[in-house]
Amino acid sequence: MEGTPPAPVISIRALTKHYGSVEALTDLTLEVNQGEIYGFLGPNGAGKSTAIRTLLGYLHATRGTASVLGMDIATESVEIRRLTGYLPGGIALYDSLSGEQVLDYLVDMQGRQPHRRAELCERLELPTSVLKRKVRDYSRGMRQKIGVVQALQHDPELAILDEPTEGLDPLMQHAFYSILDDLRREGRTVFFSSHVLSEVERLCDRVAIIRAGRLMAIHDVGELLARRRRRVTVRWRGAAPDPASLPGLEDVQVDGNRIIGMLSGEVAGFVRSIASPNLDDLIIEPASLEEAFLEYYASEEPGQ
Amino acid sequence: MSGRLFIQTLRWQRVRLAVVVLAGIAWGALLPVIYNAFSEVIRDLANSGAFPEEMLNIGSGSLFTLPGTITLGLQHPLALAMLGIFAVGGSSTAIAGERARGTLEVLLARPVSRVSLYLSILAALLLTVAIVLSAILGGMVGSATVTGLASELDLGPMPIVFLNGFGLWAAFTTFGLAMSVTFDRPGPAIGLSLAWLLIHYFVEILGSLWTDAAWAQAYSLLHHFNPGEILTGELDPLDLVIVYAAAIVPLIYALLVFPKRDLAAPA
Repeated sequence: MEGTPPAPVISIRALTKHYGSVEALTDLTLEVNQGEIYGFLGPNGAGKSTAIRTLLGYLHATRGTASVLGMDIATESVEIRRLTGYLPGGIALYDSLSGEQVLDYLVDMQGRQPHRRAELCERLELPTSVLKRKVRDYSRGMRQKIGVVQALQHDPELAILDEPTEGLDPLMQHAFYSILDDLRREGRTVFFSSHVLSEVERLCDRVAIIRAGRLMAIHDVGELLARRRRRVTVRWRGAAPDPASLPGLEDVQVDGNRIIGMLSGEVAGFVRSIASPNLDDLIIEPASLEEAFLEYYASEEPGQ
Repeated sequence: MSGRLFIQTLRWQRVRLAVVVLAGIAWGALLPVIYNAFSEVIRDLANSGAFPEEMLNIGSGSLFTLPGTITLGLQHPLALAMLGIFAVGGSSTAIAGERARGTLEVLLARPVSRVSLYLSILAALLLTVAIVLSAILGGMVGSATVTGLASELDLGPMPIVFLNGFGLWAAFTTFGLAMSVTFDRPGPAIGLSLAWLLIHYFVEILGSLWTDAAWAQAYSLLHHFNPGEILTGELDPLDLVIVYAAAIVPLIYALLVFPKRDLAAPA
């Protein structure tokens, strides 16, 4: 007999935020489960930050409800923030303090011990000499690293990160990804917004796609990648075969002895169908979330 | 209330506070010296009729008596500037400034309610106001003692003077903080808070210089802090009621408005 599934860490029901006639967020409904890394994907201005800010009590919902860690966002916001780590988008810090003083101040305000600080600083290459410097002397990337540390240093049950890799160089992005991987292994939950598809693809278990304040789709990232169309280029020695004889190939362009198209479905059947001594070259471009994302945005209107 | 935020708010102000406290002690100490040096001259000038007596006053203060000099010193623009740095400048930028810089975001990500944040900052600012006021009054009393004028000063009502002055500047502090929670940028908050102080100052000075407008002084909060009258046993308890009521109204406004405000992402 199966036990009752654990309550979702974040549960959002028809959450709506309007500023006068401007619909910043409309009827957002989603659930984030314990131990998940959940991506919240959308272009700038889609409503990602509005949703996050409403969850954390910066904004008041026009209608709808939500709970975080089982607590109501309208009435238990303080307790939610005690158990949560939050990285705001484009974080601002106290310029007159050193990095270390900022972290000390914020963890004191959090009322918890900075159990993870040393490890995070090491992985994000924030040595003591850097932490002793005033924040005003920091580059954007350094500030972002301090932002990541302040959000995670107290080992929160839930991390809510708004565009966390903004300003981080590729090396630090990878360090950050590996930190999230570790959090996932430890059963921590991470909800993060991004418009960088590759990092969502790299990190997330599930992704919600939002556009113009409305939820467009929620997907298991693995499934999304599996069902995505792949760009295929095939070149023959001599004339190309009739494209209609190639299973699963769509949007075909024939260019002399070369056929370019989008392949959906199984790869193996397609490869079998083109196997011939005249086959000169075959390129199947790795599936990227970006194409699926663009397909969604191109073909669907919000709310559909 | 958050003790950590209270302490940090004081830390932000510590250098400014140290400078203003020294200036306050110096200013307070100077007043009995000025009284000692010029009161006879001023009195002769008034008696000569060359100047109307009103022209020799500043607000409700004058150099004719030591208590009057103390009133003058506390209504003088220098004292207003020293106390206003915290009661107007500090309060109006406290929350709107954090909001404009984006640091309010990080602060409110902690388990601290907006009411608690407001009360912590208010408590810290009121403490700075109390320290500056004490410095000015302390300088006055110390200087009066050193210059041999202690006999002209009854120190018994001095706690009432402090309470009345504190209430007056608490009113400007809560007004400044009310503006600070209302606006997203410090500019409008500072502008309105400063305008509020200047209107009260203008009405008080206008009424003291122009007898036809003396009735208007009752509408100036500054008029309801008269150390001279308190020190000579003429305290009007209504003055205390008025300044503390003026402090409480913006406080209630802020406690109602701030928790309900939407704090959109800073630009």
